[in-house]
Amino acid sequence: MFFKGLWIPIARPAVLALVSIAVIGCGRGETDAETAQKVYRHAIDGAPASLDPAHADNVYAATLVKNLFDTLYRYKYLSRPYELVPNLAEDFPEVSEDGRVYRIRLREGARFADDPAFPGGLGRAVTAADVVYSLKRHFMSETRSRGGWLWRDRIVGLESDATIRSADQSVAGLAAIDERTVRIELTEPYPQFTHTLAMALSAVVPREAVEYYGREFGVHPVGSGPFVLNRFDEAMAVLEANPGFDRGPVDLAAEGFDPQRHAGYDLEPIDGKPYPLVDRIEVHFISEPSARWTSFASDGGVDVVMVPPELAERVLESRSPLRFKPAIRERYRTLHGLEAGFVYHGFNMANPEIGHSADPVRDRKNRALRCAMRDAFDWSARNEAFYHGLGRVFPGAIPPVLAAYDPPFDDDSVTHRPRQARQRLQSAGWTADTLPPMIYGLEASIQQRQMFEQFRAWMQEAGFPPGHFQPRSFAGFGEYSRAIGQRELDFFLLGWTLSYPDAQYSLQLFYGPNAAPGANSVNYDNPEFDRLFERASTLPAGPERTALYRRLNRMIIEDCVIIGSLSRTRLYLWRPDVRMFPDREMVGGYFLRFVDVVEDRP
Amino acid sequence: MSAGGSRGGFLLDRLVTATALLLGVTLISFTLTVHFGPDPTWEQLGRNPTPEQIEQVRQALGQDRGFLPRYADFLLRLARLDLGHALASGEPVVDLLARAIPVSLLLLAPGFLIGIVLALALAMVAAWRPRGFVDRLCTIVSATGMSLSLVIIVIALQAVFAVWLDWFPARGWRVHDLASYLRHVTVPSLGLIVAGLGYNLRFFRSVFRNVLHDPPVRTARAYGFGDGRIAIRYVLRAAAPPILTRILVAVPLIVISGSLIIEKHFGIPGIGMVTWNAMMSGDQPVMMAVVSLSSVLFVLALSVTDLLTGLLDPKVRGA
Amino acid sequence: MTAPVTLRRRLAGLDRLPVALMAVFLAAAAGVWCGLWGTDWSTISGTLREPPSPEHWLGTNRLGQDILERLLAGTATAFEVGLLVAVASVALGAALGGLAGFHAGRRIDTLLTWVIGTIDAIPFYLFVAAIAFAMRGWPGAMQLAMILSFWTLTARLVRTESMRLREREFIAAARASGSTNRRILLRHILPNLAPLLLVQASLAFVAAVKAEVVLSFLGIGLQDSISWGIMIAEASQEILAGHFTNFIAASLALFVLVLSINSLSDGLQERLDPRVRRTPTERLA
Repeated sequence: MFFKGLWIPIARPAVLALVSIAVIGCGRGETDAETAQKVYRHAIDGAPASLDPAHADNVYAATLVKNLFDTLYRYKYLSRPYELVPNLAEDFPEVSEDGRVYRIRLREGARFADDPAFPGGLGRAVTAADVVYSLKRHFMSETRSRGGWLWRDRIVGLESDATIRSADQSVAGLAAIDERTVRIELTEPYPQFTHTLAMALSAVVPREAVEYYGREFGVHPVGSGPFVLNRFDEAMAVLEANPGFDRGPVDLAAEGFDPQRHAGYDLEPIDGKPYPLVDRIEVHFISEPSARWTSFASDGGVDVVMVPPELAERVLESRSPLRFKPAIRERYRTLHGLEAGFVYHGFNMANPEIGHSADPVRDRKNRALRCAMRDAFDWSARNEAFYHGLGRVFPGAIPPVLAAYDPPFDDDSVTHRPRQARQRLQSAGWTADTLPPMIYGLEASIQQRQMFEQFRAWMQEAGFPPGHFQPRSFAGFGEYSRAIGQRELDFFLLGWTLSYPDAQYSLQLFYGPNAAPGANSVNYDNPEFDRLFERASTLPAGPERTALYRRLNRMIIEDCVIIGSLSRTRLYLWRPDVRMFPDREMVGGYFLRFVDVVEDRP
Repeated sequence: MSAGGSRGGFLLDRLVTATALLLGVTLISFTLTVHFGPDPTWEQLGRNPTPEQIEQVRQALGQDRGFLPRYADFLLRLARLDLGHALASGEPVVDLLARAIPVSLLLLAPGFLIGIVLALALAMVAAWRPRGFVDRLCTIVSATGMSLSLVIIVIALQAVFAVWLDWFPARGWRVHDLASYLRHVTVPSLGLIVAGLGYNLRFFRSVFRNVLHDPPVRTARAYGFGDGRIAIRYVLRAAAPPILTRILVAVPLIVISGSLIIEKHFGIPGIGMVTWNAMMSGDQPVMMAVVSLSSVLFVLALSVTDLLTGLLDPKVRGA
Repeated sequence: MTAPVTLRRRLAGLDRLPVALMAVFLAAAAGVWCGLWGTDWSTISGTLREPPSPEHWLGTNRLGQDILERLLAGTATAFEVGLLVAVASVALGAALGGLAGFHAGRRIDTLLTWVIGTIDAIPFYLFVAAIAFAMRGWPGAMQLAMILSFWTLTARLVRTESMRLREREFIAAARASGSTNRRILLRHILPNLAPLLLVQASLAFVAAVKAEVVLSFLGIGLQDSISWGIMIAEASQEILAGHFTNFIAASLALFVLVLSINSLSDGLQERLDPRVRRTPTERLA
């Protein structure tokens, strides 16, 4: 009757639509790739938004960018401390006597991957002009570069107000002398310059592709790296070996292989083989720590996991010395190490209520307040609750991973002393009524909320009235950085990841001219500090510079500018059929090109 | 009034309503997300920005312009179906939607459809024999289902099926053939079914009960027509308008926001996850595209409902 | 005019168990409001992750805070959020719905219908997150967002209902006897709507409590407070490590509270009009 007439017209299109969706959804070009022999499934704890090297200032983007593109230099796979090695460059730069002029020669045979952006769709050789263009585009407004600050004021012709309107505009300090030689002139010596050329931000891009894709370059990366992009969305990226990439065989000894230190990782078989060694890499973006573990623990999940502190108990036999459980060591390969970075709490020194004050009496009083809060802060409880006691607490801002690290000269600044805190407040004349209220900034995550509750409990113990710290949470990191950049917060938690192994990179957090919105989020303003920092900046590595760095570090401890810091310990587990050393610190994702999986893997 | 005239009038009426609705939705959303929303500028900056750079980015993003010109600009682009580019990646928003929406549909369709069919079948049996075993069971199931939060369901299901039993992948979306699709879609679908069953069961049962009270159905039952025939020919048909309305109106909500928790928890790159990321980073073009799309879907769903109701109900038809 | 009396009589015969359960929850919340317990939810009173003991009946969490304290304080939060959102959204819905229905067909009705349709067409999470952003850290942002989103459901019903009432004889009689519009609204229409509003309020209460869990899970919930949603969100990170107390305590409390209110509201509806049963709002199921 009616019934038939009703349902058919509804049902048929619905079924058709479903079927077509299923076909579209399922046929996403993965079937052929799945037959590839060697697949490695990597996991990182966040998703990059853009794969344009000019935006790659975070570890997530850098992990991918360093594999899709090439940088002039990179760090050796296995050497620690980190050692630079030429990558796209043929050799180390020739630096002039005064340390200001660099000549860099490119290696022969490096080619951009095939892409419709090139005439005929065929990739072409990487030239010196590409290197010049790649640096120059950081200063073009349409690039929206996140890395221009690394080279601004450093390269002649890119002084503070210089902008570049067209890619053809010449820059005095940046020149391609011939097809394969770049000449870079600096305004003053910049000993860390070569390190910046190993950062993902400096990766070399072809101008044709940038102009062809325009704003979409961030999702259509075209580079000369070991891999090309096959898929990229919010959940994962799929990289495939770039057939045109040829760097010869892996030289394990040159990469810093040490049979003792790297025993048990089964790395020897990759020696002498051309790399990249796998056909396909899936990089899964999994921000929730427990989800990363879940995926690793289930069949067909990711091959590697950075063990979340909540689960450290399950895999560790002892914390100090750090040892994995025998059952874990049998089933997986393991690695642990400190991060090249740290977390710290900062004060807004620009707020005269708690920071610098023109009135010397008030200035001293404010310092007592900050130091009292630092005394009341219990790093070991923080470490225990959130890092399973595996973090390394250290005074100041030079983390243990750096050569300039000051072996604990004085742990006073990271020791919990609630009584001393009370005394400090009292003798400086602070009472519950006069203590200035503070705005505590946090990102709206469960962990940061818990950290705030912990912090508040310590401060109450030291005599701060309840309700004294007003939490203000921000849903996204962008909003949080805006609030810090606009100096709306008095006290906040920040992390800082080193991009090169030099204390200059973390001490710049306190350099006056970098004040907010710059990297000096605490708005520390100390002319003496600035003078010494400037002096250290042009010095080559050596005992003099190290001594200066340590002196700078002590200044910020002395002034109670931050409460900190803590470097997290990373625990990695991976399946035994993967041959690798997955240390992502500083090196970023460089190790991915050396990852191998055993042949007869399911 | 001739049939053609009434249909034309209906369409025109719909068009006016739809346009008004679309304008309202975009105006409110634009005010909230663009005017009061997070400033996307800071998401686009490096680690050591200068005030000049910030100003430059603000200008590039149009953040320095007034509300009205920006809203007008947005409407003009929307009228040309130009959704712009995502701020963070530069990906065209159309591409972004085209890759995210199929994922969401694939993810949600089985749970949604099975849930509806299951609820319809159970509700029919329950309504048929009030206070029978199935009716009592339905009361318990719907009370339980409605009291559970999707968050709790999802956490628990993942822990049980994907971690302890390890029958299904715990998360992710690596779908390339039917088998992998089924493996990935099962646990989320279970979650959707459990979360929706309580509400659907209750709604359908009360609709069926009302219909079973109707004189024609009573007569048919009294005449001893087969149960199956009555259930399908009379009850289901008479109950179709409210049921279809419910299903159709649920579709836009499911497509846009219903999937948010599931996609976030299971790490599936569908429209819910895209929307969430855009919201957190203040990616205005993406947010506005999602809002506009959902209101268009909403209007479409309402119109289709009206049309179907008209087709099904002889009273409305004859008028 | 007899509605209030009827309502009281109708309320009298509700199921015992849900009433008893509600009383327990209310007592727990009242204790928090009076400062008897649940005031130390933020205090670190023990060591990390203690198992249940006489001092900490449900053990402690990763910071060493007492889980029972947090559960009790969360109960109070649930009632605060639920009651505020229920009362405000129903009041707003009733006022605007009544206004629209009373002036059906006029410009104000068209405008309000448009607003209602518009708000219903915006995806809920987007709407709430946008309001939360717009309010930038104001503690009531989440509640405001829920109110602004929930009132439309009541408004639709009240609009239809008051359009129907408008045509009834006693209204016509009142109008004939010279009553003002306001008087008619307050004395005649509103009392007749009371049962409907009560049911709507109970549904809004449940929706608000459940929405709080979802929003806290997503990280856009309450600011400086403790709630079941926050506890569940905290728990979601530790379940795998074998710490269930937080999760079970908070989910169970939520489940029982919602179940009780749902069944109360069911009983209420059955007594009001056995044929018309409303399904709780499930925008946030």
